Amino acid sequence: MLRSASCGMGYLALAQLMAQTTDALQTAPTLMQRPPRQRARASRVIFLNMAGGPAQVDTFEYKPQVGKKPHAGSVASFKQRGRSGLWVSDLLPNLARHADKLCVIHSMTADTSIHAQSMLQLHTGDRLRPCPSFGSWVAYGLGTENQNLPGFISFNTAKPSEYASMQLPSVFAGTPIGINGEDMSKATLAHVSGNPLPAHLRRRQLDLLQVINREHLRAGRQDDPQLEGVIQTLELGFRMQSVAPQLLDLRDESAATLERYRVGVNHSVGTCKGSDFGRQCLLARRFCEAGVRFIEITHGSWDQHTDHRRDLTANCATTDAPIAALLDDLEQRGLLEETLVIWGGEFGRPGLVPGQDKDQTGHQHRAFTFWLAGGGVKRGHVHGRTEVDGSTVVESPVHFRDLHATVLHALGLDHDNLAVVSGGRRIRLTGLQGGRVVSELFA
Amino acid sequence: MARLGALLAGAILSARPLAAAQSPEGIEWFESRIRPVLVKNCLECHSAQSKKLGGKLRLDSAAGINAGGESGPVLLAGNPKESLLMQALRYEGGLEMPPKKRLPPQVVADFARWVEMGAPDPRTQVGPALAAVPATKPLWSLRRPQPPPSPQLKNPSWPRGRIDELALAVMEHRGLTPVADAPRAVLQRRLFYDLIGLGPQQPWTGSVESLVDHLLASPRFGERWGRLWLDVVRYAESNGNDGLSRNPSFPHAWRYRDYVIESFNADVPYDRFVMEQLAGDLLPAADAAQRDRQLVATGVLAFGAKPAKAMNDHFEMDVVADQMALVGSGIMGMSLGCARCHDHKADPISTRDYYALAGVFKSTQTMWGAAAHQGLTAPQTPLHVLAAAKVLPPRQEIESIIKAHPPRRTPAKPQFVYPPQAALAMGVREASRIEDCRINIDGDSKRLGAAVARALPASLGGFEAIPIPAGQSGRLQLALWLTDERHPLTARVMVNRVWQRLFGQGLVRSVNDFGHLGEPPTHPQLLDHLAVEFMRSGWSLKALIRRIVLSRTYQLEARGSDATWLAHHARRPLDAEQLRDSMLQVSGDLDLCWPQGSLIAQRDVLINELPSLHQPSAQRSVYLLMLRQSMPQSLSVFGLPDAAAVAGPREESVQAAQALYLFNHEFVLEQSRKLARLMQQRPEDPAGRVRWLFAEVLGRQPAADEQDQCLDFLTEAQAGLSSAQGSQGADAWAALCQVLLISSPWRYLD
Repeated sequence: MLRSASCGMGYLALAQLMAQTTDALQTAPTLMQRPPRQRARASRVIFLNMAGGPAQVDTFEYKPQVGKKPHAGSVASFKQRGRSGLWVSDLLPNLARHADKLCVIHSMTADTSIHAQSMLQLHTGDRLRPCPSFGSWVAYGLGTENQNLPGFISFNTAKPSEYASMQLPSVFAGTPIGINGEDMSKATLAHVSGNPLPAHLRRRQLDLLQVINREHLRAGRQDDPQLEGVIQTLELGFRMQSVAPQLLDLRDESAATLERYRVGVNHSVGTCKGSDFGRQCLLARRFCEAGVRFIEITHGSWDQHTDHRRDLTANCATTDAPIAALLDDLEQRGLLEETLVIWGGEFGRPGLVPGQDKDQTGHQHRAFTFWLAGGGVKRGHVHGRTEVDGSTVVESPVHFRDLHATVLHALGLDHDNLAVVSGGRRIRLTGLQGGRVVSELFA
Repeated sequence: MARLGALLAGAILSARPLAAAQSPEGIEWFESRIRPVLVKNCLECHSAQSKKLGGKLRLDSAAGINAGGESGPVLLAGNPKESLLMQALRYEGGLEMPPKKRLPPQVVADFARWVEMGAPDPRTQVGPALAAVPATKPLWSLRRPQPPPSPQLKNPSWPRGRIDELALAVMEHRGLTPVADAPRAVLQRRLFYDLIGLGPQQPWTGSVESLVDHLLASPRFGERWGRLWLDVVRYAESNGNDGLSRNPSFPHAWRYRDYVIESFNADVPYDRFVMEQLAGDLLPAADAAQRDRQLVATGVLAFGAKPAKAMNDHFEMDVVADQMALVGSGIMGMSLGCARCHDHKADPISTRDYYALAGVFKSTQTMWGAAAHQGLTAPQTPLHVLAAAKVLPPRQEIESIIKAHPPRRTPAKPQFVYPPQAALAMGVREASRIEDCRINIDGDSKRLGAAVARALPASLGGFEAIPIPAGQSGRLQLALWLTDERHPLTARVMVNRVWQRLFGQGLVRSVNDFGHLGEPPTHPQLLDHLAVEFMRSGWSLKALIRRIVLSRTYQLEARGSDATWLAHHARRPLDAEQLRDSMLQVSGDLDLCWPQGSLIAQRDVLINELPSLHQPSAQRSVYLLMLRQSMPQSLSVFGLPDAAAVAGPREESVQAAQALYLFNHEFVLEQSRKLARLMQQRPEDPAGRVRWLFAEVLGRQPAADEQDQCLDFLTEAQAGLSSAQGSQGADAWAALCQVLLISSPWRYLD
């Protein structure tokens, strides 16, 4: 039922836009599924957006003291985990179980430590000007598997520029569910319900509407694809009314599952604000199973300027079990191999010096950590290296541009040529400079 | 002028003590200590052979070093401390060269000594010249519009005037013939929606000319066309998320909205309109009311979206960039933003031009107000105090919401306190310090190059720009220059916007970009004709619109959505405001009273800390509360721009989100119920009522089949609802009315 594909967005009056797409992508800008143009390791993405700048040296990059002189490094305690011996902080006991699944990049770099700009760059490749979002590019390149749902869904999102389609047709825009701290248990697609007619009469009402619409089309307007598009889109909207609420309704999940994901559990401590992250993770799994191409979920509290230790502990506690449950379920259901999970934020934080009282951290964009899992990446692997204090990258830097190129590559898309011409400019996710596929990350 | 200024500056800075410089010791020093380092570390990116020339700077010849690069001169011979080259080698001031690894201190000291000696350099070999701007063919849009000659036509009897002649000439050239004229009822509906944004309620019995004049004179005209301008100038009543999740209100922005609507209704000449917005504070005023009006007009430079001030060194230059984008893309159809970081790749706008103009705005104080008293968002600024305008009390509808949600982030103490009867406005005025702007290397305001004298981008005007006197920001000169009849862009860009509104697409499709990266005009002569006539008629927008809608070209039948070659008109969806306003109108609910201010008037609050402030309203859409990132849902789902930047044509794509809105939104349900009440008051039998409904909404009678289907649905729905459980509030008549209100024949304009 959920996957019943029908030609929903067949006609979008987008002939002009088609003419503007580059040769590299000779497919219609619709959500119809498109085969990737090269070998694909993954077919969808779940992006765990850790907004605010998570402290990498207290989570996934162990920086012990080296030499006699104290220096900045990890203040949380770490252990080596699994067969890979990957270091994971004790603040993340559940995620630590999955160490052998993680492909950790210690050498991420970005251009700026301004939240808004770096967040925009993480999402769109450009830090100054609004450009299409990451998820929109993926939906544009591959379409989506389920024609009853949008191709890109963004949960608990902060602002439209992070999920906007901008120069791409709006059918590829992210659909927000829950905006900026909204109660996630109530969040849903805008206007998905409200009509008081009982279901069978709603269908009858739509049938009557389509009689009038077809009459309008028939009367000398057969040449107009936008009117046919309206008829198809009304049908799609009608189907979404039943499909989306079913997916958002967690009543069919067992109590044990809700507990594993910590649905409804919130730690509100200092900067750490509840985001019902467990619910977001469970919804990510459900929408992933339903065939949504790109799912972003957000926990936005990692900006621990004061009370670093206390707030970091709360942020880790909020996200640890839910992410672990998500990875468990993806693997157990055979979805992990084809789903690329991405964890990270707009930058990281400098480490503190153990033994000192200082408990404040700022922003650090020159070196921070992301991890990937599933989607054909190496398991239990570490990429890149930073200085002993974690302040700068000394080996194998990975810029956001490179991350974007790599993720598109994993999906079978050519980052150089996945582009759109708009206003005379050729626009792509990796920008003017282009990115590099970090092939060392793939198994 | 800008270029000349920069050249002069360059010449002075690089004047060097030649005698000392070219001494044998000097040459020896260069050959042994400098040249090898340049070859090893610099020339890969800074020579004629470089794949991509870094910063447009060449270090492979004396002339190259002397000329400097994108960031201005690099060498102040004899003065290592002030030389950009030395700052870069020392990794000071932000520019770090070579980028990968700092040179050893000894080598840097050698360079310092070399500069001190006057930078002796025997290399006279000069590679291919490096043009400041890539040599491309001259840009069509920078030639002054010329009145086009009368075209030779195969069918001279078709045109009604010059617009038709020029359109037909292109059609004939492409082997097209115009379709039939639109039927009278179709044309009337088109004119009503295009000119006042509402549908016709009764057929107009007089001539088309008299209808057009009637509509142009209606106060509804400004409410329709003012919104066009509000799209262009990214109008909004709050800042939008500043990056720290704070979205402060702009409680006085609405005065600008009213100013725009009044200006369109009064047909204020467009040149005057532009002048008031850029420099209204500097223009003389006959009385207090005029002065107020001009101050309010400058609000356009103040209500842009700003990123947070906290930890953002670029804040000031971000505000300037937003103002320059407004002037560039909005008024001139030229994107200037590229040149913030590098010379424009295609258009004749260099980084120096950019910072020359940036100096104008840097010397301007932008008055956005309190920013909800959140210091991290933006520093508080004063506001204009109006002399004659009335103060409107805060709106009761939202007082209780605001009171129930005291600020979570403690507001700072207000720095600017006004008496309660003071009417305030956002705007600009001359800054207390008038100063030139230094080039921001790669757009980074921490890495500063040479200062560039304030100047207008003369390369875009094609005539000598007015010099900017010392002690003035230059906004007045900018406004005079833009509205000079010799300026090739201002009139063209505006007539193209008007055309776009009337035909669905512009003669230049890229309405905000008339540069090399934009699209060339499909009808260059028609565009020129419109621009020339626009200026000749005293920049009257009403005269321009009248001329276009009375052309035969405008009055053709609609076919499809693309009317590029003008052989037919385009079928267009009603836009967000047309759809909402006419739903209100047909259900008898539309409130045409002039609204009082805005829901957010007088309230400096963080929008993100409050639940939705939108209130049910029967007023025209242009008056709804326009909060960035919280725009009225009834409008944003149908393509209302987000006011983040200068907007072009509304997006017309068909989306499932629109279907969901039309099925389920309370506004649509409410208008359907109201229409159903009117319908049920009719004395006719159900079939007669259905015929009334079709006539009222669609302006036609139902086909026999349609009428039968409607009656069947009514019967079935009435039966279904009387037996169904839990369908409170559902009503068969309202469900039928909803069908008509969301149907294609209602939502599309032929």
